[in-house]
Amino acid sequence: MEIKVLFFGVLAEITKTRFKHYRDITSYDDLRLRIQDEFPEIVHYNYRIALNSEIINEDPELKNEDEIAYMPPFAGG
Amino acid sequence: MKESILINGPVPKAMISSLLEALGNDTGAGGHSLFLGQVRADVTDGRRVKAIEYSAYEAMVMEEADKIKKSIIAEYDDLKSIIILHSVGIVNAGEISLFVLISAGHRHQAMQACSKTVELIKEKLPVWKKEIFENNTSEWRQNYQA
Repeated sequence: MEIKVLFFGVLAEITKTRFKHYRDITSYDDLRLRIQDEFPEIVHYNYRIALNSEIINEDPELKNEDEIAYMPPFAGG
Repeated sequence: MKESILINGPVPKAMISSLLEALGNDTGAGGHSLFLGQVRADVTDGRRVKAIEYSAYEAMVMEEADKIKKSIIAEYDDLKSIIILHSVGIVNAGEISLFVLISAGHRHQAMQACSKTVELIKEKLPVWKKEIFENNTSEWRQNYQA
Protein backbone atom coordinates (compact mmCIF):
# COMPACT_ATOMS: atom_id res chain seq x y z
CA MET A 1 0.00 0.00 0.00
CA GLU A 2 0.98 3.65 -0.36
CA ILE A 3 1.19 5.90 2.69
CA LYS A 4 1.70 9.66 2.77
CA VAL A 5 3.94 10.74 5.63
CA LEU A 6 4.00 14.35 6.87
CA PHE A 7 6.85 15.84 8.91
CA PHE A 8 6.35 18.95 11.02
CA GLY A 9 8.42 21.43 13.00
CA VAL A 10 11.99 20.38 13.68
CA LEU A 11 11.31 17.02 12.00
CA ALA A 12 10.60 18.74 8.67
CA GLU A 13 13.95 20.48 9.13
CA ILE A 14 16.02 17.35 9.85
CA THR A 15 14.32 15.28 7.11
CA LYS A 16 14.49 18.28 4.74
CA THR A 17 10.95 17.46 3.60
CA ARG A 18 7.39 18.29 4.64
CA PHE A 19 5.84 15.15 3.15
CA LYS A 20 6.84 12.00 1.38
CA HIS A 21 4.99 9.07 -0.20
CA TYR A 22 6.09 5.57 0.78
CA ARG A 23 5.10 2.74 -1.56
CA ASP A 24 4.82 -1.02 -0.97
CA ILE A 25 4.34 -0.60 2.76
CA THR A 26 3.21 -3.81 4.46
CA SER A 27 2.49 -2.52 7.98
CA TYR A 28 2.99 0.41 10.33
CA ASP A 29 6.12 -1.27 11.68
CA ASP A 30 7.47 -1.59 8.15
CA LEU A 31 6.82 2.13 7.57
CA ARG A 32 8.38 3.13 10.87
CA LEU A 33 11.56 1.17 10.15
CA ARG A 34 11.85 2.56 6.64
CA ILE A 35 11.60 6.09 7.98
CA GLN A 36 14.18 5.37 10.67
CA ASP A 37 16.54 3.85 8.09
CA GLU A 38 16.19 6.90 5.89
CA PHE A 39 16.39 9.47 8.70
CA PRO A 40 18.33 7.81 11.54
CA GLU A 41 18.54 11.05 13.55
CA ILE A 42 14.76 11.06 14.01
CA VAL A 43 15.10 8.67 16.98
CA HIS A 44 16.77 11.47 18.97
CA TYR A 45 13.62 13.62 18.91
CA ASN A 46 10.34 13.47 20.82
CA TYR A 47 7.28 13.17 18.65
CA ARG A 48 3.75 11.87 18.48
CA ILE A 49 2.06 10.19 15.54
CA ALA A 50 -1.28 11.08 13.98
CA LEU A 51 -3.19 8.83 11.60
CA ASN A 52 -5.49 10.84 9.31
CA SER A 53 -5.41 13.82 11.75
CA GLU A 54 -6.06 11.74 14.90
CA ILE A 55 -3.31 11.18 17.46
CA ILE A 56 -2.67 7.48 18.02
CA ASN A 57 -1.04 5.82 21.00
CA GLU A 58 -0.76 2.29 19.62
CA ASP A 59 0.55 0.94 16.33
CA PRO A 60 -2.35 1.29 13.88
CA GLU A 61 -3.61 -0.96 11.13
CA LEU A 62 -2.82 0.97 7.96
CA LYS A 63 -4.81 1.00 4.75
CA ASN A 64 -3.88 2.30 1.32
CA GLU A 65 -3.58 6.13 1.07
CA ASP A 66 -3.62 6.69 4.83
CA GLU A 67 -1.82 9.81 6.06
CA ILE A 68 0.68 9.54 8.89
CA ALA A 69 2.04 12.67 10.60
CA TYR A 70 5.23 12.91 12.65
CA MET A 71 4.58 15.71 15.14
CA PRO A 72 7.07 17.21 17.63
CA PRO A 73 5.62 18.68 20.87
CA PHE A 74 3.12 21.43 20.07
CA ALA A 75 3.98 25.12 20.41
CA GLY A 76 0.86 27.07 19.49
CA GLY A 77 -0.20 30.38 20.97
CA MET B 1 -19.32 23.54 10.01
CA LYS B 2 -15.59 23.27 10.62
CA GLU B 3 -13.78 26.44 9.71
CA SER B 4 -10.14 27.27 9.27
CA ILE B 5 -8.88 29.39 12.13
CA LEU B 6 -5.48 29.97 10.52
CA ILE B 7 -4.32 33.35 9.23
CA ASN B 8 -1.21 33.97 7.18
CA GLY B 9 1.04 36.33 9.10
CA PRO B 10 -0.08 38.35 12.14
CA VAL B 11 -3.76 38.70 13.07
CA PRO B 12 -4.45 42.10 11.43
CA LYS B 13 -5.41 45.00 13.69
CA ALA B 14 -8.25 45.86 11.27
CA MET B 15 -9.69 42.36 11.68
CA ILE B 16 -9.49 42.64 15.47
CA SER B 17 -11.27 46.01 15.31
CA SER B 18 -14.07 44.76 13.10
CA LEU B 19 -14.64 41.69 15.30
CA LEU B 20 -14.85 43.95 18.36
CA GLU B 21 -17.19 46.37 16.58
CA ALA B 22 -19.58 43.51 15.78
CA LEU B 23 -19.93 42.52 19.44
CA GLY B 24 -22.89 44.80 20.10
CA ASN B 25 -25.02 42.89 17.60
CA ASP B 26 -25.71 40.26 20.26
CA THR B 27 -27.63 42.17 22.92
CA GLY B 28 -28.10 38.95 24.91
CA ALA B 29 -24.42 38.98 25.83
CA GLY B 30 -23.46 40.64 29.11
CA GLY B 31 -19.70 40.17 28.86
CA HIS B 32 -16.94 39.53 26.37
CA SER B 33 -13.54 38.16 27.25
CA LEU B 34 -10.66 38.75 24.85
CA PHE B 35 -7.21 37.20 24.80
CA LEU B 36 -4.53 38.44 22.41
CA GLY B 37 -1.30 36.46 22.20
CA GLN B 38 1.65 38.62 21.16
CA VAL B 39 5.11 37.62 19.99
CA ARG B 40 7.55 38.52 22.75
CA ALA B 41 11.11 39.70 22.06
CA ASP B 42 12.70 37.17 24.41
CA VAL B 43 16.45 37.24 24.85
CA THR B 44 18.25 33.86 24.93
CA ASP B 45 22.04 33.70 25.28
CA GLY B 46 22.28 37.33 24.23
CA ARG B 47 20.12 36.82 21.12
CA ARG B 48 16.88 38.79 20.87
CA VAL B 49 13.81 37.30 19.13
CA LYS B 50 12.77 39.41 16.13
CA ALA B 51 9.99 37.09 14.89
CA ILE B 52 8.36 33.69 15.23
CA GLU B 53 7.72 31.44 12.27
CA TYR B 54 4.62 29.31 12.89
CA SER B 55 3.78 26.16 10.98
CA ALA B 56 0.71 23.96 11.35
CA TYR B 57 -0.89 20.68 10.37
CA GLU B 58 -3.84 22.50 8.83
CA ALA B 59 -6.32 19.62 8.47
CA MET B 60 -5.76 18.58 12.06
CA VAL B 61 -5.91 22.18 13.33
CA MET B 62 -9.42 22.42 11.88
CA GLU B 63 -10.46 19.17 13.60
CA GLU B 64 -8.90 20.11 16.95
CA ALA B 65 -10.21 23.69 16.93
CA ASP B 66 -13.69 22.32 16.31
CA LYS B 67 -13.28 19.88 19.23
CA ILE B 68 -12.04 22.70 21.50
CA LYS B 69 -15.05 24.88 20.63
CA LYS B 70 -17.48 22.00 21.20
CA SER B 71 -15.93 21.07 24.54
CA ILE B 72 -16.01 24.70 25.75
CA ILE B 73 -19.62 25.14 24.66
CA ALA B 74 -20.51 21.86 26.44
CA GLU B 75 -18.76 22.99 29.65
CA TYR B 76 -20.10 26.57 29.83
CA ASP B 77 -23.86 26.83 29.33
CA ASP B 78 -24.03 30.63 29.20
CA LEU B 79 -21.81 31.14 26.11
CA LYS B 80 -23.04 33.17 23.16
CA SER B 81 -20.08 32.86 20.80
CA ILE B 82 -16.48 31.74 20.55
CA ILE B 83 -13.95 32.96 17.98
CA ILE B 84 -10.40 31.60 17.62
CA LEU B 85 -7.77 32.86 15.15
CA HIS B 86 -4.15 31.66 15.01
CA SER B 87 -1.26 32.76 12.80
CA VAL B 88 0.87 30.67 10.48
CA GLY B 89 4.02 32.00 8.83
CA ILE B 90 6.09 34.89 10.08
CA VAL B 91 4.86 37.09 12.97
CA ASN B 92 7.19 39.85 14.15
CA ALA B 93 7.81 40.73 17.80
CA GLY B 94 4.99 42.95 19.02
CA GLU B 95 2.47 41.52 16.56
CA ILE B 96 -0.56 39.38 17.44
CA SER B 97 -0.41 35.63 16.74
CA LEU B 98 -3.47 34.41 18.69
CA PHE B 99 -6.96 35.86 19.06
CA VAL B 100 -9.61 34.34 21.35
CA LEU B 101 -12.91 36.12 21.92
CA ILE B 102 -15.68 34.64 24.07
CA SER B 103 -19.08 36.21 24.60
CA ALA B 104 -21.38 35.05 27.36
CA GLY B 105 -24.48 36.10 29.19
CA HIS B 106 -22.42 36.91 32.29
CA ARG B 107 -18.78 37.80 33.00
CA HIS B 108 -17.61 34.77 34.99
CA GLN B 109 -18.29 32.27 32.25
CA ALA B 110 -16.79 34.59 29.61
CA MET B 111 -13.53 34.91 31.57
CA GLN B 112 -13.28 31.28 32.62
CA ALA B 113 -14.09 29.94 29.15
CA CYS B 114 -11.55 32.29 27.56
CA SER B 115 -8.79 31.12 29.90
CA LYS B 116 -9.68 27.45 29.34
CA THR B 117 -9.78 27.92 25.57
CA VAL B 118 -6.28 29.42 25.51
CA GLU B 119 -4.93 26.52 27.59
CA LEU B 120 -6.55 23.97 25.25
CA ILE B 121 -5.11 25.76 22.21
CA LYS B 122 -1.60 25.51 23.69
CA GLU B 123 -2.10 21.84 24.57
CA LYS B 124 -4.08 20.49 21.60
CA LEU B 125 -3.42 22.48 18.42
CA PRO B 126 -0.79 20.95 16.12
CA VAL B 127 1.17 24.18 15.66
CA TRP B 128 4.94 24.63 15.85
CA LYS B 129 7.05 27.71 16.34
CA LYS B 130 10.58 28.62 15.49
CA GLU B 131 12.06 31.71 17.09
CA ILE B 132 14.08 33.80 14.69
CA PHE B 133 16.68 36.02 16.32
CA GLU B 134 18.02 39.39 15.25
CA ASN B 135 21.30 37.74 14.17
CA ASN B 136 19.24 35.44 11.87
CA THR B 137 19.89 32.28 13.88
CA SER B 138 16.81 30.32 14.95
CA GLU B 139 15.56 27.85 17.54
CA TRP B 140 12.48 25.59 17.84
CA ARG B 141 10.27 26.08 20.90
CA GLN B 142 7.65 23.91 22.56
CA ASN B 143 4.84 24.59 25.05
CA TYR B 144 5.15 21.53 27.25
CA GLN B 145 7.89 19.01 27.90
CA ALA B 146 7.14 15.82 25.97
